Amino acid sequence: MDTQHVPYERAFIFSAAIRIFHWLRALAILVLVVTGFYIAWPFLVAPSSSDVLVQGWIRFAHLVFGFLLCAITLARAYLFFFSKSDIERRSFKDVTNVNSWITQLKSYLWMGHLDKKGVYGPLQFVTYFAISVIAALICITGLVLYANVYHLGLGGMLWDSAAWLTAQMGGLAQVRLWHHYFTWVFIIFVVVHVYMAVWTGIRFKHNSVDSIVSGYDYHPKKH
Amino acid sequence: MDTHAALYQQGQARLAKLRSLKPRHVDSLKDKMKQHGISRRDFMKWSAAVTSMLALPLPFSTLVAEAAELADRVPLIWLHMAECTGCSESLVRADTPNLDTLIFDHVSLEYHETLMAASGWQAEENLEHAMEAYKGNYLLTVEGAIPTANNGAFLTVGCKGHTGLDIVKHAADGAAAIISVGTCAAFGGVQAAAPNPTGAKGVAEVVNKTVINLGGCPPSEKNIVGTLMYFIMFGKLPALDMFNRPKWAYGARVHDNCERRGRFDAGEFVETFGDHGAKEGYCLYKVGCKGPYTYNNCPTERFNHHTSWPVLAGHGCMGCSEPNFWDDMADFEKPLGRQLLHGLDATADTIGAVILGATAIGIGAHAVASVFAKSEES
Repeated sequence: MDTQHVPYERAFIFSAAIRIFHWLRALAILVLVVTGFYIAWPFLVAPSSSDVLVQGWIRFAHLVFGFLLCAITLARAYLFFFSKSDIERRSFKDVTNVNSWITQLKSYLWMGHLDKKGVYGPLQFVTYFAISVIAALICITGLVLYANVYHLGLGGMLWDSAAWLTAQMGGLAQVRLWHHYFTWVFIIFVVVHVYMAVWTGIRFKHNSVDSIVSGYDYHPKKH
Repeated sequence: MDTHAALYQQGQARLAKLRSLKPRHVDSLKDKMKQHGISRRDFMKWSAAVTSMLALPLPFSTLVAEAAELADRVPLIWLHMAECTGCSESLVRADTPNLDTLIFDHVSLEYHETLMAASGWQAEENLEHAMEAYKGNYLLTVEGAIPTANNGAFLTVGCKGHTGLDIVKHAADGAAAIISVGTCAAFGGVQAAAPNPTGAKGVAEVVNKTVINLGGCPPSEKNIVGTLMYFIMFGKLPALDMFNRPKWAYGARVHDNCERRGRFDAGEFVETFGDHGAKEGYCLYKVGCKGPYTYNNCPTERFNHHTSWPVLAGHGCMGCSEPNFWDDMADFEKPLGRQLLHGLDATADTIGAVILGATAIGIGAHAVASVFAKSEES
């Protein structure tokens, strides 16, 4: 049977490092949000023996994944500036270009198509930049809280700066509250991010969700 | 020379200088102890306890004992601002007079509105005289917040009608050191709670000198006397933390030294007051304990002659020694994440729900419209 053939091509856009960091970060955010809400309101009933440190183990998971998030936030910032491929950095040209903003915003309103120099549109780039800043802030407030949990090793090294930051923020209670607010930014971001990723793939047949898994962007060949 | 040896010599030099001054009282501390039935042995035990509380090595206990005897050489001016006198009460209303209260009695107290016999013009004269006679040498302790709105008119003290703001600024000018006793003097306390119509502030915010903050509503008598002893002994300020509180008293969180900490880590929580967990002494976090955000030595020093403290009595810490505690720590019987009445979190939660709701509506609208819009490239 003769079917109409749509010629597709593929382009390699996301390096292995970017993809691994993306999914590790997704895992870290999921675990941190769940354990974080648990720490704020411990809802599990105590075990029959106090040898089982329920709160202790959940805090352990929160701390370990918290360090993971700190590490990824640092590594990802480094990669943005110094990775071999400039596919991410190129997007900055769109941010400084008013026409690119108009093109992207129109494309989101079903007018015209996406046309970008790098891998991200300008609004997307600014959003990712903002979420990276929030990631840095939630890591910093998390480390301040951590310096109060463990006083040797890393916690001990962080103490002086943590104490200084606590004073600037008006007390440990304020640090904890801001840590909580930042969590909500991530929750809202994840919802919008997943929707936009799926929608972009369907609407533009470009940069669909599988590209962050395989690294390849499959899209119809331009004539 | 190591730091402890240097500090010891500094203390000795300071005490030698104090010894050459004229004592204010006729009775020596030894006489007073005898009158109150406190033995020499009790005194030495107290000196050792204060030494360890100040995180000094044991040989310093002889310095502490000597400093206690010489306390009547250090002029102390104690001012009352916008406050409830609870901090003074914490110190002087012990059920049996012990050495802490006795030291406070023995120190050369030049002016204290609750304790002095003088009143009216005479009291005012005492204050002015003390500030003039001991200029640059007296220790100033302030109890209560300083109202600053309307140029401080919300608080006027004494027959001359000076504002508290004026009195504190004037007294601070000639002080050798300034101690804010209690959360109000340190951070504004309940007077500074929103909406703070009187513009109440802590002493440190209205004077240009370093102020030692002794947070607490009230601070324990140990922390007040310990700070006095440190100043008498060394003539300088102790090591201070991020909010200028002495590290020896406010160096660790209540949570860290709490006797119920094991219950916290094990996940054993009191769910409501009076339940099984409450009777078993479970952790009070879920009924609003603010120990995790509060720096103080309550679990180790306790109150009223080491008798008890809030958590031992079955109620969570309410963070009374922290800045802005009245606003930040309320509700006192709910964790920070569960404030319903005044809560910042509750507000954040409402905002979160509104934003998420708007997001869901936006996404829904966009998705529905996408179904009808033609795909761009097919």
